[in-house]
Amino acid sequence: MFAYTIRRVISGILLLVVMSVVTFYLFYASSSTPERFACGPKCTPTQLDTTKRALGYDEPTIVQWGKFAKGFVAGREFPDDEKLRKAAPEQVVECPRGCLGYSYGYSKPVNTLIKDKLPISVSLAISAFVIWIAGGVLLGITAALFKGRLIDKAIVGLSLLAFAFPTFFIGLLLLKFVAIRWGIVELPKYSDFTDNPFLWVSGLILPAITLALVYMAGYIRMTRAFVLETMSEDYIRTARAKGLTRRVVIGKHTLRAVLTPLVTLSGLDLAGLLGGAIITETVFNFNGVGKLSFTAVQRYDLPLIVGIVLLLASFVIVANIVVDLLYAVIDPRVRLG
Amino acid sequence: MGTNRKRLVAAAASMVVAVSLAGCGGDSGDGSGPKGQTDQEVTEATKGGAVFSLETAVTQAWDPQRTYTGRDLSNQSRLVYRSLVDFPKGVTDNIEGQTPIPDLATDTGQSNEDATEWSFTLKDGPKWQDGKPVTCEDLKYGVSRTFATDVITGGPNYIIGYLDVPQDADGQPVYKGPYTGEGQDAFDQAVTCDGNTITYRFKKPWPDFPYAVAALRSFDPYRADQDKGDKSKLSVFSNGPYMLDEKGWNEDSGGTFVRNPEWDASEDTNRDANFDTITFEIGIETEVIIDRLIADEGNDKFAFTSRSVTPAQYPQITGDVEARAVNFESPFSNYLVPNFNRLTNLKVRQALAAATNRAAYVGALGGDKASAPSLSIVNPSTPGYVANPNFGKAEGGDVEGAKALLEESGETLPYPIKLTYPIGSDATDKAFAALKATYDEAGFDVTLDGLDPSGPYYEQIQKPGSDSDLIWGGWGSDWPSVSTVIPPLFDSRVNITKASNGQDYGNYASDEVNAAIDAAAAETDIDKANEMWSEVDNMLAEDVAYIPLDTTKFYFLHGSGLENYVNSAGTNGYTDLGVLSVVDGGK
Repeated sequence: MFAYTIRRVISGILLLVVMSVVTFYLFYASSSTPERFACGPKCTPTQLDTTKRALGYDEPTIVQWGKFAKGFVAGREFPDDEKLRKAAPEQVVECPRGCLGYSYGYSKPVNTLIKDKLPISVSLAISAFVIWIAGGVLLGITAALFKGRLIDKAIVGLSLLAFAFPTFFIGLLLLKFVAIRWGIVELPKYSDFTDNPFLWVSGLILPAITLALVYMAGYIRMTRAFVLETMSEDYIRTARAKGLTRRVVIGKHTLRAVLTPLVTLSGLDLAGLLGGAIITETVFNFNGVGKLSFTAVQRYDLPLIVGIVLLLASFVIVANIVVDLLYAVIDPRVRLG
Repeated sequence: MGTNRKRLVAAAASMVVAVSLAGCGGDSGDGSGPKGQTDQEVTEATKGGAVFSLETAVTQAWDPQRTYTGRDLSNQSRLVYRSLVDFPKGVTDNIEGQTPIPDLATDTGQSNEDATEWSFTLKDGPKWQDGKPVTCEDLKYGVSRTFATDVITGGPNYIIGYLDVPQDADGQPVYKGPYTGEGQDAFDQAVTCDGNTITYRFKKPWPDFPYAVAALRSFDPYRADQDKGDKSKLSVFSNGPYMLDEKGWNEDSGGTFVRNPEWDASEDTNRDANFDTITFEIGIETEVIIDRLIADEGNDKFAFTSRSVTPAQYPQITGDVEARAVNFESPFSNYLVPNFNRLTNLKVRQALAAATNRAAYVGALGGDKASAPSLSIVNPSTPGYVANPNFGKAEGGDVEGAKALLEESGETLPYPIKLTYPIGSDATDKAFAALKATYDEAGFDVTLDGLDPSGPYYEQIQKPGSDSDLIWGGWGSDWPSVSTVIPPLFDSRVNITKASNGQDYGNYASDEVNAAIDAAAAETDIDKANEMWSEVDNMLAEDVAYIPLDTTKFYFLHGSGLENYVNSAGTNGYTDLGVLSVVDGGK
């Protein structure tokens, strides 16, 4: 098991290195002119050249990647120009080991930006997760239990409706009516949990519902289908034949079987959302990783784009390793493969 | 320079603080101010209260030498950064409102005969937020920062082209900015401090230099001991009536400015500083901002924005809400340029100009609340603007005239045209589709080529070998002068290189026009210079170097708790924070 774990971790690290090279080449070696965004809209060709040099985009991509990789392993100082660092030490920005680069759009190390924004995305993802799992499973089971009746049709119909509307539409609708026009809740605003847990919760209500609705719709459908499928299994019929109450049959035998695939799926969905929900964060002006990545692309902020891509990739890689290890625990045959 | 200086002095002497826009209409090129739906006048204000600025776009920089967007330039000027000269507060008239008045300086500057040397004497009294006086050395240091092009990026750098600093073999100034000190002697000779008097020496005439000083923040003072290079991009060290509170500026959510105790109201008469605090809430979707301002609840009663009402929300601007709305022409103009590397037949270009259906284009953009047809690349708010007679009627779309010109061209019809434009909203697509419809009717076969402006658009149109035939462009003058419109867009010497055409997207290159640009730029009498610029504009129109489209209109909304809400000419039509106040001081 130990050897298997080491193998998986090493392959994960190698995958990250490959990801960083591919991401770098994808963005840095493209024919685009990222310096235009730093230089401003009225930049002359001479200014563009100067800005390109100042940002280090004039160097070959492999050299830029080399600096990035070295910075990640050993840390790095910005600006790149050593002469400038010596002449104006007050301008030097230290970026310690694990450095993902320096965003010239924000004038901050990428790590600092991600560290600041990640709690917002994580808060949003977790609160949405709670809503969609609770709502999705409960309504899915209810629909299954009342299959073919009005309540089933209403739940299925509404979930289809929620699924059909784009997230930005639901978000704007909730914001416009629930917060602005009717004033039922305050305008959503992120507050740090440690500062005020109540404000943290109240600020997250609308964005979390927006994000949860789409997922919940899918989970209602899946839960309903899983429950119906499970209820037609022989062992459920046996349980009923044994004279067990409906409550025990559903609560103990059906739900246990249904929850396993749901938990697996929801875990993967949650992992994807930790990297930020771009649309929801943009609509509600939540400055999480999702909105950060949107801004990075808008500004063509290459170090920031690469940093975020690598962060998200590392989430997925780590999640995969964890899942693989869990599988190995469950099924020893996996380790041999 | 005589007329120029006379105008400066006259304007300073005749400063008025009350102005009404009631009934103000027609062509704003006559010098009238923005056309508002409501009266905009400055009345006596009660001090106090908190105001809120709701914005979509983030502030890219609070560093004065790195700021280049109209909204931010104006806000910085009224809140935290004072300049040698400034534009008057609360004035909507385009001429008067865009004529410099003294701010940190005792007058609007003294120049030599050919306007290659300008001197300003600093007043006694202005202080930084730590109580230290603003000095001549601070002014000199501020302007020196622009030369550090490896650190101070994104801001206007006209000074590099003007200041009399020798160039190296690469054609770059030998002075590399204050951080490395390379070439410092050369800079010290070009900008000198003699007591409280700063003198700038230029290598070519700069007759409207005070206008540039008032409009941009490039020439504002900066304290060397506060300068941390790129790290100072979002820092504020104020010498104006407000300063950033202890929380500082958040790049994504904004910040709050409070009163600067070191600012002296008796010495600074161009900033009323009525409200106690101003909070910038940024990153909000435009539709949400407008919805909040329509609802007018809570703090939003004291809020304003630089975002225009979206066409979809026009029907909601009625009754009480309409009384809080103002709709007028912005300082930004849009145009098309034919690609001279491809459209070499003058008749074809003339046919395109004739067939350009500005009325349909404006209609698709949202009608007369969103935009107004234009007849020059120069914005009507820019002093010296003249509607160019070469472009015919404002509405355009002369199909028969265009057909005749195409027949005369001798080209095979239909003539294929690739029209490249930046994609945006549905309205943008519809507007270009409207142009295409009339072009096609006239004998062209137009292919619309909408590209993402955050990347591919500029890459495509700035390639000298681009296969686009007709290209969209948008522009606003950097200071109120035609000299910041025509040369940056059509002087091939500053634009065209092997790799890029700069802002000259149509690859237009004319020695005759370049010579005329030089002559107009060197003219020290501003009225004469305006006539010369008008002649250059005619030359461009005769070549069909551009085809005017429209002037974007601002459609702003503000909360009911605000008064003295004025969209001054000197603040680029954005809310003038120098006069804005809260009803009853927020009590």
